[in-house]
Amino acid sequence: MIDKTLVPLLAIKGLAKRYPGVVALKGVDLTANAGEVHALVGANGAGKSTLMNLLAGAQAPSEGEICIEGQVVRFDGPASAQDRGIATVYQEFSLVPQLSVARSIFLGREPKSAFGFVDTRRLAERTRALLERFNLKLDPDAEVATLSVADQQLVEIGRALSFDARILILDEPTAVLSFAEQDNLFAVIRQLKSEGMLVLYVSHHLREVLAIADRVTVLRDGEKIATRDTAGLTVDDLVSLMLGRSGAYAKTTGHQPDSADGSLFDITYRTAGPESRLALRGGEIVGLAGLVGAGRTTFARALSGNALSSASVDIGHEGRTLHFSSPREAMGHGVVYITEDRKRDGIFAELDIVANATASALPSLGLGPLRNSRKEQAVSSNILQRLHLVASSLSAPIVKLSGGNQQKVLIGRALLTKPTILVCDEPTRGVDIGAKAEIHEILRGLARSGVAVLVVSSEIEELLALAHRIVVMHERRFVAEMPAHEAEESQILIAASSGSKSMEKNDEA
Amino acid sequence: MTAFAASHREVAAQLMSRYAIFIVLVLVYFLAVAISDAFLVPTYIFNVVRQVAPVGIAAIGVTYVMILGGVDLSIGAVISLTSVLCAVQMNGDQANVAMAIAISCAAGAAIGTINGIAVALTRVSPFVLTLGTGVAVLGLTQIYSGGTARGIVAPGFREVFNYRIGDVVPVLAIAFLALAVLGLLVQRFTVFGRQLFLIGSNRRAAHLSGLSMARVTILAYALSGLFGGFAGIALLARSGVSNTLSGQGLEFQVLAAVVLGGTTFEGGRGGVAGTIAGILVLVIAFNLVNISGLPYHMQLVVMGTIIIVASAVYGQISARS
Repeated sequence: MIDKTLVPLLAIKGLAKRYPGVVALKGVDLTANAGEVHALVGANGAGKSTLMNLLAGAQAPSEGEICIEGQVVRFDGPASAQDRGIATVYQEFSLVPQLSVARSIFLGREPKSAFGFVDTRRLAERTRALLERFNLKLDPDAEVATLSVADQQLVEIGRALSFDARILILDEPTAVLSFAEQDNLFAVIRQLKSEGMLVLYVSHHLREVLAIADRVTVLRDGEKIATRDTAGLTVDDLVSLMLGRSGAYAKTTGHQPDSADGSLFDITYRTAGPESRLALRGGEIVGLAGLVGAGRTTFARALSGNALSSASVDIGHEGRTLHFSSPREAMGHGVVYITEDRKRDGIFAELDIVANATASALPSLGLGPLRNSRKEQAVSSNILQRLHLVASSLSAPIVKLSGGNQQKVLIGRALLTKPTILVCDEPTRGVDIGAKAEIHEILRGLARSGVAVLVVSSEIEELLALAHRIVVMHERRFVAEMPAHEAEESQILIAASSGSKSMEKNDEA
Repeated sequence: MTAFAASHREVAAQLMSRYAIFIVLVLVYFLAVAISDAFLVPTYIFNVVRQVAPVGIAAIGVTYVMILGGVDLSIGAVISLTSVLCAVQMNGDQANVAMAIAISCAAGAAIGTINGIAVALTRVSPFVLTLGTGVAVLGLTQIYSGGTARGIVAPGFREVFNYRIGDVVPVLAIAFLALAVLGLLVQRFTVFGRQLFLIGSNRRAAHLSGLSMARVTILAYALSGLFGGFAGIALLARSGVSNTLSGQGLEFQVLAAVVLGGTTFEGGRGGVAGTIAGILVLVIAFNLVNISGLPYHMQLVVMGTIIIVASAVYGQISARS
């Protein structure tokens, strides 16, 4: 007899995955136990997704084996992984918006009544039991479309749990959540852990990983670098493991822009509430902090000519007042926006890198109505080289690039219009740490050349490292402003969540 | 580095989707040759090209609209209208030919412009909108012509277009190929051509990138109308008789050719070259139906089947890549 407690719930031995021309995973060993939250971290391309896909049964390994409770298992598809108790919640949900929560959770496995109809009463009972057991606060009758993203995620988790999963894989679960929603998710994860489940937590957010995981496995270039207990581990430790060198973000140092030398943009923002003001200067990076829902993106878009009907921005500059009614008009005056959602409204997926990079500057590169392909090719190649783009060929479709390289192409597109104000919304979202540092360096270089840069980011650390000045937004207004070198994370969080700069409320956010 | 790690299979799938129609064209041609020697005779081949000129010309403009992610169902009605208009304006007098052609082109462009403005400024789907304008234009054509064949083609008009250079190549076929080349040049070498693909690929991104969505949209539909006008004139030149319903149903052949050529309803891909290959595949298939002695209306069945199979195949290919 084998003592069950000694056999790990999940054991991976020598797992490898090769694609034509690429080795994505090189013989990874890993063990994880029931009642554990085990994080997987690594830069993009480190092999996290591949490992996750192998465990989820979405792909078959080239070598090595996966053991559950000491038994070797082989999956011939996601369904067979589910049968063996491995459930996966991907970053992108696969819910049917029109269905109720209960129907979504048991989709395809609804209890049937005598005539083959869905037995709604039993469905409701089973749903309620499941939600209560795992303390998921959801209304079983609510239509999925009406739920917040956070609640939709809980529905996905509920569906995963309804398969009696013992191993739950969460892929970047907090990417779409606000701080409060994140707390709720963590409470759910702790509940699952106490029920004896193994949660595999895949994330870019190292701080979260340290907060929620018991152990963390670091991957780099398809290899396992280390598995560590999170107790006593710091973000810097993790970063140096991931990169093989130390230091998370290089700070913006030296060159504090002199308010006198850069040209000044006096911005007035009007929404439902009272108007709010903000100054941008050429040569300066301003970091815009705030919670999800504070209205940062709405402001950033309004500033660059893409306003919702309820918001408007005036820019005072050299005695004139500018107001833009389209991104085209804003661009004509040098105000350019880089989107937070590359896939939805940034890239032209099926078009090549040159077409993507030159999209905005096309008319200025050609002669009248005619294009000048040679010049397009030349300027793209030039700007993308400056941005350290990694691509085998500029005629490759942009969708084949990694997130960081796609972002560089979008920055290149903006730069080809020669902006005076560059608005970057979450410039490093979904970008691996190496590329992050490069993008930061690019933005610093732009500021040095006299561009006014506004960076919106949910990562306060990023803003502290990158910006010269931090502006905090709360409920659609600018509520606090401070030089980045004097700012503290706690100070920003308090302003962002309470709207006041004072430190009266001492409860840590 | 592995930033660009497309597998060979993906690359192959992409090449397949881009060049599939040209391979199909070659295969269909060899099949045709195997069935009938006629497909080896230049005169016959150019006759086929002449035969397909009106639909082919219209398909060039519709390709632009479909790269943009739209569609133009009014094209059949535009062909009918411009064809009747051209005949009536000529009124059997050679002195009127230039004016008649100009008026027909202007009418086609005007209808296209109206389509474009409506698509750009309202939220009506292009499908419904151009279906509506198509019906309305059909009505206008009937009113204008009194419901019967009206107008007389000027002497020489038909003869010029059907004159065979060196006894082989009809002027109409040359005109079609010239317009195809022009269409291809516009697509490849103008800012407008590139912007069609940008907007068709991702409307939101195009808007944020500072493209003038309205201008490109209106121009695309206007060109579709203008090529519809050319097609109406070509139809009149081919048949020599003005008929108020001559363009009816041609929109389906046009759509079949465009879709077959790899320009999808989703937009952002495809192009004029594919469309031309698509129309040639269609016309060879039609001729094979005729040659093999099947009833004429079998052509419609063949066309319908081709649309469905082509869409299914392209869907498969793009799902895999």
